Amino acid sequence: MPVSDATAGGEIGPDTRRQVNRGFGRVLVVVYAVFAVAATARSGIQIATKFEQAPVAYLLSAFAAVVYIVATIALARGDRTSRKVATVAIVIELVGVLAIGTASLLLPDQFPAASVWSRFGLGYGLIPLLLPFVGLWWLRRTR
Amino acid sequence: MTGIYATALIVLALTLAGWAVVLLIVNRPPGAALIGAAAVLELVLVGFAVGGIVQMLGTDRGFARAEFVGYLLACVAIVPAAVWWMKDERTRAASGVLAVVFVVVPILVVRVQQVWAGAGV
Repeated sequence: MPVSDATAGGEIGPDTRRQVNRGFGRVLVVVYAVFAVAATARSGIQIATKFEQAPVAYLLSAFAAVVYIVATIALARGDRTSRKVATVAIVIELVGVLAIGTASLLLPDQFPAASVWSRFGLGYGLIPLLLPFVGLWWLRRTR
Repeated sequence: MTGIYATALIVLALTLAGWAVVLLIVNRPPGAALIGAAAVLELVLVGFAVGGIVQMLGTDRGFARAEFVGYLLACVAIVPAAVWWMKDERTRAASGVLAVVFVVVPILVVRVQQVWAGAGV
C-alpha cells in the first residue's frame, strides 16, 4: 500500500492540537454534515409532500435539520465565536434527541412517521444520540 | 437499479472504507493510491447516477422521483466534497474523513434502490 506523497501522520503540532476543526474535528464535521444534509432533504420533502400526515414529527425533523446545519458550520469554522455557537447548538441537539426520543416512546401516536430524533435516532444507528456527547467532548478537549 | 453494477459499487466503496480504516489505524493520511481509488469510485458513482436517471426517464412507473434524483446527486457529490474537506489535513484524520464517506456511499446506494423499489421517505 504505497503512501508516496504523504507525510507520516500523528505529528500534530501544538498549534493545531487545540483547533476544533482540525484532526478528529475534521471527521466530526463530516458526520455532522451528513446529518445536516440528510435531515434537511428528508424534512424538506416530508413538509412539501405530506405535511398533514404528521406535522409534529415533520416540524421536529426540520428543527433538527437547522440544529445540524448550525452545528456543522460552527464546528467547521472553529473560531472563538463559532465555538460558542457550536456549544449552544450541540446542547440543543442533546436536549432535543433526549426529549424527542423519550416523547416518541411515551407518545407513539404523536410520532406516526420517523424523524431523525424519534426513538433516540434508532433509524440512524443511534448515531443521533451519540453525536452530541462526542461533539461536547471534542469542544471541551480542544478548549 | 439493482444488479451487478450496484453490487460492485457497494463492494468497491466498502473495500475503500476498509483501506481508509487501515490507514487510520496505522496513523497515516491517505496517499496518492487511495485518492486515485476514490477517483475511480467517483467515476463509478457518476455512471450509477447517469444510469439511474436514464432508467427513471424510461419508465412511467410511480415512485418518489425527487428523492430518487436527490439521492443520486448525493452519491455524486459526497466523494469530491470529502476529498476537498480533507485535502489540507495532514494527519490520519484525513483517512478518517474518507472512511466515514466510503461507508456512507453504500448506504446512499441502498437508499437509491429502496426508493426505486417504491419506499417513501
